Amino acid sequence: MTPVVTFPEWQGRPLEEVLRCCTDLLEDEHFPTVARWRAAGGKVAGHFQVYFPEEIVHAAGMLPFKVRGGPVEAMQADSRFGSYLCSIVKTSLELALSKRVVLDLFVTHPICDAARNLGAVWGRNFPYPCEILYLPQNANSAHAAAYLRDEYDRLRRRVERVAGRPVTDDDLRNSIVVFNENRALLRELYAMRRETPWLVRVDEAYALVAVGGMIPREEHNALLRAVLPLLRARPAKRLDKVRVVFEGGFCEQPPLDLLRAIGRSCDVVDDDLLIGLRWILEDVTANGGPLTALAHAYLEHSSYSPVQHDLRKPKEEMLLQRFRAAGAQAAIVTAAKMCEPGLEEQVAYARALEKEGVPFFVSEFEENMTSFEQLEVQLETFVENLLFE
Amino acid sequence: MAYAAGVDVGSTQTKAVIVDERRKIVARALTMTGAHVTRAAEQAFAEALRAGDLEEGEVEYVVGTGYGRYKVTFGNTQVTEISCHGRGAVHMFPKTRTVVDMGGQDTKAIRVHPNGEIQDFCMNDKCAAGTGRFLGAAARALDIPLDELGGTALKGEKAVRISTTCTVFAESEVLGWLGRGKKIEDVLLGVHESIAGRSAGLARRVGIEEEVTFTGGVALNVAMIATLSRALGVAVNVSEDSHYMGALGAALFALDHVLAARAPAPARQSA
Amino acid sequence: MTQAVRGGGGTTGIVGRGNDDGARLFRQWFHELAAAAEAGRPAAYVFVMGSLGELMRTFDLPVVFPEINSLQTAVRRVAHEYLNEAEDYGYSPDICGYVKADVATQLRGGLLPMGRIPKPSIAVNTNACNTYIKWAEIWERMYKIPVFTLDVPGTRADGAQTWPGDPDFENDRRYVEGQLRELIPVLERVSGVRFDVDRLREAMGHANTLCRSWKRVLALNASRPSVFNALTDGTIYLGVANGFRGASEGASYFTDLVEEMEYKSANGIGTLTAEQSRLLFVGVPCYPIFRRFSEMFTELGGTFVGSTYLHFASGGANLGYEYDLARPIESLAEGVLIGVRDAMDNMFHQTPALLGMIDTLAADGVVYHPIKSCRTVSTGLADSRRALLAARDLPSLFIESDMMDRRVVSEAQLKNRIDAFFEGLASRRAQAASRLTA
Repeated sequence: MTPVVTFPEWQGRPLEEVLRCCTDLLEDEHFPTVARWRAAGGKVAGHFQVYFPEEIVHAAGMLPFKVRGGPVEAMQADSRFGSYLCSIVKTSLELALSKRVVLDLFVTHPICDAARNLGAVWGRNFPYPCEILYLPQNANSAHAAAYLRDEYDRLRRRVERVAGRPVTDDDLRNSIVVFNENRALLRELYAMRRETPWLVRVDEAYALVAVGGMIPREEHNALLRAVLPLLRARPAKRLDKVRVVFEGGFCEQPPLDLLRAIGRSCDVVDDDLLIGLRWILEDVTANGGPLTALAHAYLEHSSYSPVQHDLRKPKEEMLLQRFRAAGAQAAIVTAAKMCEPGLEEQVAYARALEKEGVPFFVSEFEENMTSFEQLEVQLETFVENLLFE
Repeated sequence: MAYAAGVDVGSTQTKAVIVDERRKIVARALTMTGAHVTRAAEQAFAEALRAGDLEEGEVEYVVGTGYGRYKVTFGNTQVTEISCHGRGAVHMFPKTRTVVDMGGQDTKAIRVHPNGEIQDFCMNDKCAAGTGRFLGAAARALDIPLDELGGTALKGEKAVRISTTCTVFAESEVLGWLGRGKKIEDVLLGVHESIAGRSAGLARRVGIEEEVTFTGGVALNVAMIATLSRALGVAVNVSEDSHYMGALGAALFALDHVLAARAPAPARQSA
Repeated sequence: MTQAVRGGGGTTGIVGRGNDDGARLFRQWFHELAAAAEAGRPAAYVFVMGSLGELMRTFDLPVVFPEINSLQTAVRRVAHEYLNEAEDYGYSPDICGYVKADVATQLRGGLLPMGRIPKPSIAVNTNACNTYIKWAEIWERMYKIPVFTLDVPGTRADGAQTWPGDPDFENDRRYVEGQLRELIPVLERVSGVRFDVDRLREAMGHANTLCRSWKRVLALNASRPSVFNALTDGTIYLGVANGFRGASEGASYFTDLVEEMEYKSANGIGTLTAEQSRLLFVGVPCYPIFRRFSEMFTELGGTFVGSTYLHFASGGANLGYEYDLARPIESLAEGVLIGVRDAMDNMFHQTPALLGMIDTLAADGVVYHPIKSCRTVSTGLADSRRALLAARDLPSLFIESDMMDRRVVSEAQLKNRIDAFFEGLASRRAQAASRLTA
């Protein structure tokens, strides 16, 4: 397959323009990078939230595309679903029904029941393979690693059939190297946000991370390698705003304008936004079997979210850890509307934060909300109170 | 000549229609429902009789429909307004396959078989955002009489985007747009587009098949006809008896009973 | 030709026995739970999709089904109190009503209208519903108890179920078996009872009888008239199928139920209605107005001959899977995998099952009932219905309400839609009849 550069626009530009290119791409509901990939003869595998082992798709020469809904009107998708449902499930299907994005494979995960149902609905509406990748919800079983390795192998076979070529262990090892670098670069970006938050705003960092789900990872690596030094050298004035962690962006994404609004009052020094793209916390070492290594990494070296059950990682403990490690002063605890796991976790988060005496702010959001004056006023009041303490 | 009647008791208005055995409308009447539902039904029926110069005894069968159908105590039976709007629409426009009915309180999308049988339906009666109520709220906010809404909206050139999903907030959103300097016509057009969009969403749930007939009181609003048509992607049939469609359907069901009572019993097949 | 006979009549007293015995067993169950609560004995909290009743019996652990407890608060018209309490505690109005009613039950020290239930000493959930997982986490925090998530890999794609012999199936089965072997020592610790594989065999034998009989009962509704109402009678049967799975009472109840239904079938004894429309029900019943909801159908001559609810809420017992008692743990793993997977399929991929039911039970229409607080059951129903209508020209109704929250159940709106549906059914019958006489 001829490699095609899907996102050349940023190359050679100064920092502010690079960031603007990323934001423009993020807000482009026609996903031009995916279209360019297809036009060059490439195949696309769409993967829903939260985490997906993208290496397996990458190793087959396909483009892994993170399906994460979007601020579009679910005109066609709406009639496939009832009410009382999170928006991301509807808008994700809408992207495909309206042909804004065309896939060759769609994979979802048992993160919640809306997401599992999405797999069935998607499969009824498109001729290409749509499936659920059954990531384990009993991470504490000694048998989970072997099971997951076999499940990854099943996925590999599916991907081979779609791609029309074998996926060897060496292919996988090469892909793991690419994604290891990507994860390392993202960790660097997040370290910078913790240590020098005035150098990169939350919405800018978000755009830099999010485009990774839409372009070949090699291009994303090149982009990050170029941008990180530019950010470090940015002549930005150090303004000490309140340091917060943002929790609740693991699946449905808050609108960019909401992140901008938060960024105006606070420094978001850590978050779980698009955590699926940053799920594995260390390099995956694939000396032995690469699928075994990926399975091991998922179970042993991964982050946390309300939709991954692991007795070793009680969510409220993990949030407190994140809070302390980031040197934060407060937490913004959000949930997408109608998100069952998110809304349930909010109760546990709130109680734990209260018990620890951590100031926090609870809210709900929807990906296509356009007015958040109310929310901004509440947030500003919250921040003002903190500054007075 | 035999006559049959339908009485449609809606939340705001009660309508009565009398048809003759040739299925022609010989009289119609409309009254406000108010708090005494049965009385409103009796009143509407009485006015229709007067308008058609008929005695009560001449009407052989009455069907009640609408949310207050069980309160039409002088009626012979009840039929839901879903079936009645379907029946009425197909009678007026025989090629009707989809009906969009926009009442004061609810909006329905109905798909009908060529023979008039209801194939599928979808209603929005939980939330006023896609209904005539939304228009009412906007009219109040802008202090414009309801019957001038459509004409004013049609003059709009660049509709504003109404994002609120709740009629309660519609008023403040409308005023907000005016405050930002938008023209009344553009704001009103936006309100119409918002309602039309939601109604089209309902229609898509049952599947849009031509021809589409638009019924209900709001169907007399020229701007709503235009915006609904655009939102559906097809032209819509509208009758000047749009708000009587439910009562007409009920009257036709009543007439079925009258004609069936007359017809000789079908010959029995021997075993 | 058709007869409707009141329950309890007939010369043998067999008609209606299942409902009477079911009520009696339910009371017995709660009596035992109250005793366990008083004595502070250990108890297991489990769920209808994968309760592992067979294993719980093996360790003398009384079983508490929070889903059943919660729905009972709705049937008994006190759910709103429980829901309000949980919402005051911080839970959103938009999440599962079952969870909230249970949170309030826990806050009240286990007090329910049916009696007091013991606290959990252990919670065992599958992933058949993702909310089960969050629910167990709530108890874990509240009581610091062991919580075991039995991960059951479900169907990966429409029509892609794998079966014994297929390597992919064997991978899944091995995983389930491994987890069951990890669960056993935990149950030993919690119950204080040593694992005895012969007791497990006995419990599995009872479950075999139960499942075999349940499958037969479901099939008997092909009779004309149908012999039980899948919505109302079905809920009673589900109570026993869950509460007494693996117990001898459960086995004999269902053997008796087969006898009753075979008797009714042979003698043309139907349910209380003059059967005009035979319907299928998809979803969870509207418990807040349970009786009235059913009446809105039976008043117009409609009865439910089948329901996906009877499949998934019995944990797949409808399949009649027979455990191989010679290899109990391996077979338990296989049965749990197949049963729980089938329960999930009845929620996510139900169109093939429905098409089968339409034919075997001679259904005239399908009623889809998505519910506000359950995304598991409701998310894909509109699309699923579309697929069914594309495959089969059959009248269907789509009505939304809830299984717990009275605030979003509007009887008038439901009646309007149900009436319209029956008008359509009547019209269709009339058209068919006029074609015959023409």
